[in-house]
Order: sequence, then structure tokens, then C-alpha cells
Amino acid sequence: MLEFINVNPNSGDPIYKQLHEQIVRLIVGGQLATGDELPSVRKIADHFAVNPMTVSRAIGQLVDQGWLERRRGQATRVAQQTTVQSDQQEALLFKAVDQLIQQAKQLDVPQKNLAELINKRWKQ
Amino acid sequence: MTQPLLSYTNVCKSYDQRQILNNINLDIKPGMVVGLLGKNGAGKTTLLRSALGLLTPEQGEIHVFGSLNTELDIKTKEQIGYVAQQTFGYEGFKIADALALHRSFYPSWDNELETKWLARFELNPNSAINNLSIGQRQTLALIMAMAYRPKLLILDEPVASLDPIARREFMGDLFDLALDSDSGILFSSHITSDIERVASHIALIKDGELLIMDELDLIRDTVRKVSFSDSGVDLSTYKVLNKQPNSAIIYGYTGQDIAGSVAINALSLEQLFVELHG
Repeated sequence: MLEFINVNPNSGDPIYKQLHEQIVRLIVGGQLATGDELPSVRKIADHFAVNPMTVSRAIGQLVDQGWLERRRGQATRVAQQTTVQSDQQEALLFKAVDQLIQQAKQLDVPQKNLAELINKRWKQ
Repeated sequence: MTQPLLSYTNVCKSYDQRQILNNINLDIKPGMVVGLLGKNGAGKTTLLRSALGLLTPEQGEIHVFGSLNTELDIKTKEQIGYVAQQTFGYEGFKIADALALHRSFYPSWDNELETKWLARFELNPNSAINNLSIGQRQTLALIMAMAYRPKLLILDEPVASLDPIARREFMGDLFDLALDSDSGILFSSHITSDIERVASHIALIKDGELLIMDELDLIRDTVRKVSFSDSGVDLSTYKVLNKQPNSAIIYGYTGQDIAGSVAINALSLEQLFVELHG
């Protein structure tokens, strides 16, 4: 799974957030299935050459939020998801959509035109 | 509370009437990897060297493992590792001979680690130190400072001359030291992407003053650049790190609306560094 993740230390987002967001995407997108094992914190940290505490923070949050589960003495696994998948998929698009809306407003493009534009580009 | 490995209390130091360190308070605790950021001449090297008792502050105190920095005994010094910006010494030695001499000062030297690192960084024990490149000298200096697993490791721009692969390897070793041996690490670097990867904490100094010292993730999460057209914007609930006519860098932001602001943006470490010196 590590080959699907990309860490960029120069990005606006802290590294733990980048890891968190990308692992959520892998789960929602189905690349990681329920029960799949994650590599150890140390292994992930070594792979990306980042501080293990940063990885630990990302994993900890994913466990708290129910994306992953940790059992004593076992590898961390992808947990059974309880929320509806389409809700999760949509939630992951909020940020990009918000940015799009913000840009449209800056350019004075009305909502109706933006919707038409998405429609048009979608079909391409 | 764990006792800090290294502790600066109200430290001031000046040279030729120029204030280099101004009232520095800083604690390094076990497991911390503290990245020290600052412009050239901001006081980083003075801060690092004073921890070793090489410099005496005019005011304030520095404690290493609980003892005053000017009164460290041999047992204490054996637990400190230091790599200076300018290496080196051991001119005219072969690597193997230099290591043999160096090793003799440190009873807890780990021979296995030394052999592993020499092989990994492709250093031939029979090479003469005079013939090493700057990067190779830096690597050797790191091996000499880390092979006895010091409890406190102080590094002054340790990786500037290392290639990206060697830098990555070296960062892994730093984590091993910080987490497995419960050591504390204080290092200065201008390579913000390295700091972003390695550091658990950031200490940022500007003109001899410690502007921020906190967890890296906390800084990244709560530092924002606020842009505004009216400079009367109320930022009193935040710590303002820098204020310009049309923007400010604030610390402690947790997602609120700020009345009168045009934009609120997160910053990478490099952007933060540049903005603070604007």
C-alpha cells in the first residue's frame, strides 16, 4: 500500500495530515479492504523518511475515527466501515469543491454556469 | 514530569556589544528531535555551543542532565554527542586510526554500529582523512558523535553536505536514537524539508530571540497567514508572530472566522520562515 502514498514535506499540509488523508482515500476508494493489515509505524516511517511520531499520530487519529483498528499484539488493520460509502466519498470531495466554488466566486461565475460547466466537462 | 536533558533558562549572550542570544528559555526532553531554525547569524551556533560549556552566557543558566554546563564531569560528557558546522581534526589519520582514538574516550562505544555505518556510507577504514570529501568528513563526524548512543545529541547543520540518500539513512538513525535510547536531539538546519520530516519540535530564533518553540504538528496546524485590507483587524486572541500593513502571521488559530480578513492561509515551514523575516 505504501506505493500509493506520497509524502511532500513542502506542501501546505503537515505530514501527519497528508498520511491521514491518503489512507482514508485508499479505504474509501477500495484499494484497502476491511481486514487488510498496515505495515508497522516504524516501517512506514522508514519508507517515507519521516519521524515515527508523525506516523503514529496519523494512525492514532485513524483508529480514533474508526477507519483502522488496533488489537493488542497484532498489526493495525482496516476496520469494518459503518458509515455509508457514498457519504464518505462525498466528504472527501468537500475540500476540492470548496476551492472550486471559491475560485468561481472570485471570477464572478454564477452558480448556474458553474453547474453547466461541470456537466460539460464531465462528458468529455 | 521528565527532567529535561538540556535546559536553557533566561540565557543572554553578546559579542562586541551585539546581543546574540536574548533571554532564551528552552527545554530538550527525552525523545524530542528539535529542529533549530534561523537565518545566518541569528544565534543558532552560539546557542548550540553554549550547551557544551564552550561559551558562558552573561546571564541565565544552562543545565545539562541537571548539572551546570560549565561544571560537567567526564561521565556527563560521555553522554553528549556534538557535530560542529566545521569539521574536523584528525588530519593525517586514516579513518580506522581516527576511530580507534576517538573510541577510546567512550566506554559505551558500539563497535557493531560503527562497522554497520562505515559500510552503509561506503567509508573505507583505510582511507586517509585528508582525502575525504566534505560530505564524507561530515558522515564520519556523525558516526563519531553517534556510535556511543549519546543521551543528548547536538548537531550544527549536520547534513548540509550529505546526498539525499545518505540524509534519509541518517534521519532513520536519528529516530532510532531518539526513540530507542530515549535521547534528545537538537539540530540546526536550513533545509526546511528535512526539518519537516525529522523534527518532533521546532525552535525558531530570530535576532537572538526564541520566537516559537513547540510541536511541529501543532505549529503547522495553528500558524496562519491572515491577509486583510484594513489593518485595524482584531488579532488579540492570537499570538502575532509578525505583522505587515496587509497581513500578519498568527499562532494559535483553530478555525475561527476573523472579522475583516480577506484570506487565511496555512503555511509550509519554508513559507513560515520566509514570512517571518519579511
